[in-house]
Amino acid sequence: MTDAMPLLYSVLGVEIGSINTRAFLFDVVEDSYRLISSAVTPSTHTAPSFDVGEAIYDAISRLEAVTGRVFFDHEANLMMPSQPNGEGIDHFVITTSCVPDLNLVVFGLLNDVSLESGRRLAYSTYTQVVEAFGITDRRALNIQLDAVLATRPDLIIFAGGTDGGANRSLARIADLALSALQILPRDRRPQVLYCGNAALADELRTSMDRYTNVRVAPNIRPSLDQEILEPAMEQLSAMVMEKVYEKVGGLQRVSALCSVPPRLSSQAFHRVIRFLGQLYDPTKGVLGFDVGASFTVASFAGVHTSVLNTFNYGLGEGIAHLLERTDISEITRWLVEPVSDDDARDYLWQRSLYPLDVARTPGEFALELAATRQLLQLAMRDLQRRSALPSTRFEPIVISGSALNRTVTPVQSLLTILDGIQPLGICPLIMDKHGIMPILGAIAEFNPVLAVQVLESTAFTNLATVVSVDSKARHGAPVLSARLDYPDGSFMEAEVKQGTIISMPLASGVSGQLRLRMLRRGEIEDISVSNEPIRVRGGVCGLVLDARGRPIKLPSDDTVRRARLKEWEFLLGEK
Amino acid sequence: MSSQMTQIYPLTLIQRNRLLPVPGEINVRPGQKVHPSDVVAQATIPSRHYLVDVGRVLGARTVDAAESLIIRKPGETLEKHDIIAETGGLFSHVIRTPGPGRIVSIHNGRVLIEAESEQIEIKAGFAGQVSRVIAERGVSIETSGALVQGVWGNDRIGFGPLTVDENCLDGELTSAGLGITTRGTVILAGVCASEDILSLAKSVGISGLILGSMPAAMIPTVQVLPFPVILLSGFGKMGIDEVSRQVLETNAGREVSINAMRWNRLTGDRPEIYIPLPAEAEPAITDTAYSVGQKVRVHSGAYAGRVGSIEQIMPGLTQLPSGLRSSSARVRFDQRSSDLFPLVNLDIVQLIN
Repeated sequence: MTDAMPLLYSVLGVEIGSINTRAFLFDVVEDSYRLISSAVTPSTHTAPSFDVGEAIYDAISRLEAVTGRVFFDHEANLMMPSQPNGEGIDHFVITTSCVPDLNLVVFGLLNDVSLESGRRLAYSTYTQVVEAFGITDRRALNIQLDAVLATRPDLIIFAGGTDGGANRSLARIADLALSALQILPRDRRPQVLYCGNAALADELRTSMDRYTNVRVAPNIRPSLDQEILEPAMEQLSAMVMEKVYEKVGGLQRVSALCSVPPRLSSQAFHRVIRFLGQLYDPTKGVLGFDVGASFTVASFAGVHTSVLNTFNYGLGEGIAHLLERTDISEITRWLVEPVSDDDARDYLWQRSLYPLDVARTPGEFALELAATRQLLQLAMRDLQRRSALPSTRFEPIVISGSALNRTVTPVQSLLTILDGIQPLGICPLIMDKHGIMPILGAIAEFNPVLAVQVLESTAFTNLATVVSVDSKARHGAPVLSARLDYPDGSFMEAEVKQGTIISMPLASGVSGQLRLRMLRRGEIEDISVSNEPIRVRGGVCGLVLDARGRPIKLPSDDTVRRARLKEWEFLLGEK
Repeated sequence: MSSQMTQIYPLTLIQRNRLLPVPGEINVRPGQKVHPSDVVAQATIPSRHYLVDVGRVLGARTVDAAESLIIRKPGETLEKHDIIAETGGLFSHVIRTPGPGRIVSIHNGRVLIEAESEQIEIKAGFAGQVSRVIAERGVSIETSGALVQGVWGNDRIGFGPLTVDENCLDGELTSAGLGITTRGTVILAGVCASEDILSLAKSVGISGLILGSMPAAMIPTVQVLPFPVILLSGFGKMGIDEVSRQVLETNAGREVSINAMRWNRLTGDRPEIYIPLPAEAEPAITDTAYSVGQKVRVHSGAYAGRVGSIEQIMPGLTQLPSGLRSSSARVRFDQRSSDLFPLVNLDIVQLIN
C-alpha cells in the first residue's frame, strides 16, 4: 500500500492521551514538510462520552478554526484524499497512550537469560510484570500454578531456550502455562506471545491454541550472548493494542480511517529515538523521555543498541504510583518556598484524582515541577536497576510531555530536567514542545521524509547545550574556566565555581567554539579536557555550565537549601 | 467544552450494574426487590491446586506408562485419601489425594486437582429493584433516591442508618462523635485526621464513614479498615462541601448504602452513596457544558472543596497567577469573594433548573 503513495501529501495526526487529545497538521511548505498547526482538547474516552471520537472531532475542528482549512465534509466525515481546492487531508494517523491496567506474566528458563529478556520485553510497553516463572523457581508446581491464577494475567510472554537448545526444560514450563490456561475462565484467558526456542514454536502454539490466541515472534534469546527484542516488541505492542481496542470506546471505529493501524505512543516515540540514535555521536546515545499523565516512557538508542522502557508513574493519575515509591521529602526538598510535607502530599494525591487540573498558583506549579524532578530521578534509577542504559553519556536528551513543555519559562524546564536526569558530560537538551514525537514515529512508517524534515524544523526547541562538571572541590572553589567563541569573531569568558550553574549566551541555531580548562581535579567527559575547541550549539537558555556535582547534593539546612535553589535560578537568568 | 461533573442529587433515578468479573450464576430475577446485602450474583474462581506427578512417584519410565496407572478421569470429584493411581499387582503402590478436590486435567503423567475455589459474591449494594438480568454476568438494579458521588474510597461496600452529628460536620470527627449508639451506623463528618479515631471507629463497629476529606498520609490505614470510607472532596482538610452536606443532612437517620470503590475513569465507575427514597424520580443528567450560574466545586488549592457559582466564563485563554494559560471562569463564592479558576479545575455539582 505504501509504495503507491504520492510523494507529497498532507498528514493529519492525532495523539490520544489519557488526559488530552492533540491533533497535528503536517504539510509541505516551500519544498519541505512542516508542522502547520496543532490543537489540543480533553480526551473523551472517559465519562460521560466513553468515545475517543468526540475529542478527535473537537481537536480537528479546532485545527480547522486555526488554519482556515476544511477537513470535514457536510456529514462530518474526514475528507480523504485532499481535494484540488486544498480541502481535506491525504493521510490520517493515530497514536495512543490510553491503555487499561494490564497484568503480564513472564515464563522462561534461566533467571539471568530468557526470563531477564522476557522482562525487558515486557518493560517495553504499558504493562505490569506481576509474576515470572523459570526453571530455577523453588516453589512447588502447584504453588506456582496458584500464583499464576492469583495474578489474573491479561498477557503472557513465553520465552526460553536458545535456538537448537534443549527442549525438555521448556516443555516443563509450558506445562505450567498450559495448566493455567486450562483452569482460567474462558473469557479471562490471557493471550500468549511465544518468543522462545524456534524449534518448539509450532508445537507450543498447537497445544495452547486450544485455549487462547497465541502469537509467535522470533526467539528473543536465540543464543546465550544474543538478545533480539525488536520483532517481539512489535508483536507485544499489537497485543496491547488489541486490549486498548476492547477497553477504549470508539478507537476501533476511527482506526478504519488510518493510513497505518493506530500505534502505541511508546512504540512510535521509540521509533524516532532509534532514528536519532543513528545520527548522533556513536560513543554516546540518544535518551528520550515522554512524561505522561499515567505512564513515563524512556527510550535509549545508540548506533547498535536501543532500549524502550515504560514506567507506571506519571504526573496525572500516575502520581499515585510515584508517591507510593517516594518519600514526600524527596519532592519538597526542591521547593524554594516552604510547604509542609503534609500539604504537598495532599495536593499531589488530589492531583491524581483530578489529572486534568492546571496549577493555578506559583506554589502549586512549583510543587508539580518538584514532583517532575523526582519522577525523572526515579525513572533514571529504575533504568539503572533494569540495566537499561548502555551508556551514561547522552547526545542529545529529548524530552516530551505536557508537564515540561507547558512551563512558563525555558529555565524552569531546563532546571527540572537537569535536576531530574542529572546528565554527565556535554549534552544538548531538546524539548518536544508540541508533543509530536509519537505521531512522527507513526508517520515515519510510510513517510520517513516527513518525519526527518519536521525533526529538523523549529517544531523542536533546543533548550541548551549543558556541560556538566564533576569535581570534588569544596563549594565555591573555581573549578572550570570556559571561553566561548562566537561565529562573528567575538568571544566570552567565564569561570564556574563548584556548586553553581551558569549560562553563557548562545542563541538557538547558532554554533560556537568552546574551550574548557579545568581549574581543579574533575571530570567532564570520558575524554580529558584539552585546549582543542569543542563545537557547541546554542539554545533558548544558551550554553549552560553545570558545576553542581553528580549526584546533586542539596544542603540539609532548609534556609541554606532554599537560598541555593534560588541562586541557581538567578544564575540562569530567572527573575 | 465538555465538563467534569459530580452527581449530587436529592432525588433521582439511580440505575447501577452489578457485574461479575467472570461468568457465574445469577441469584435474582427481573422485578425482584433486593436489600443491600443480598448476593445477586456469584461465581467461583479456582484458587488452590494439587499437582500429582504419577510418573515420578510410582517410578513410571514413560508418560504413557504413568498415565496407564491413573484410574481417574478429568472432572471426577475426589475425597481426601481417594486413590488416583496404582501400580496393581500383589504389592500395589498407590497414590492418594492429599485432600478433597476435582480433577481438572491429566497431562504428561501428572494429575491436576482443583482443591479450593474462591467464591466471588456480588451484593446488591443498595436497596432497589432488579431492572435487568445480564445472563451469567450480573444485574442492573434500580431505585429512586438521593445520590452523592465521591472521589476516593477504600474498596469496601456497606450500609446502615446515617448518623449526623452537627459538631462533626463542620470539623473533625472526634471520639465524642463515636458513642456506643453509632454502632452499626454510617457516620458523616467533615474531616478525619487521626488514626486513633479510626481505630476507635473500628472497635465501636460502625458500618461506614462518609468524610469530606482526610489527609493523604492516612491512606494506608484506611485501606485496611473493615468498613467503607468514602471521601467526597478529596485529600486535605477542606471538609464537606455545602451541596453534598445539604443532601446528606436532610437524610439523617435513613438507611444509606456506600459503594467506596476506586474511581475508574475508563469505566466511569465512581465511589457513591445511595439513599433510597419512596418517591418517583427521573434519571440524572450526566453531561452538560459549563455555563453562567452553575454551581461548581473547586478541586484543589486554597479553595479546594468550596462551592460557588460561575459568574463569567472568560473568552479565550486566561493567564493564571502561576503564569500558565487556561480556559477559565470567574467563580463567586459569596458577596465578598470571587476568583478565577481554570475550567478543568471545576466540577459541576448542581445543574441549573
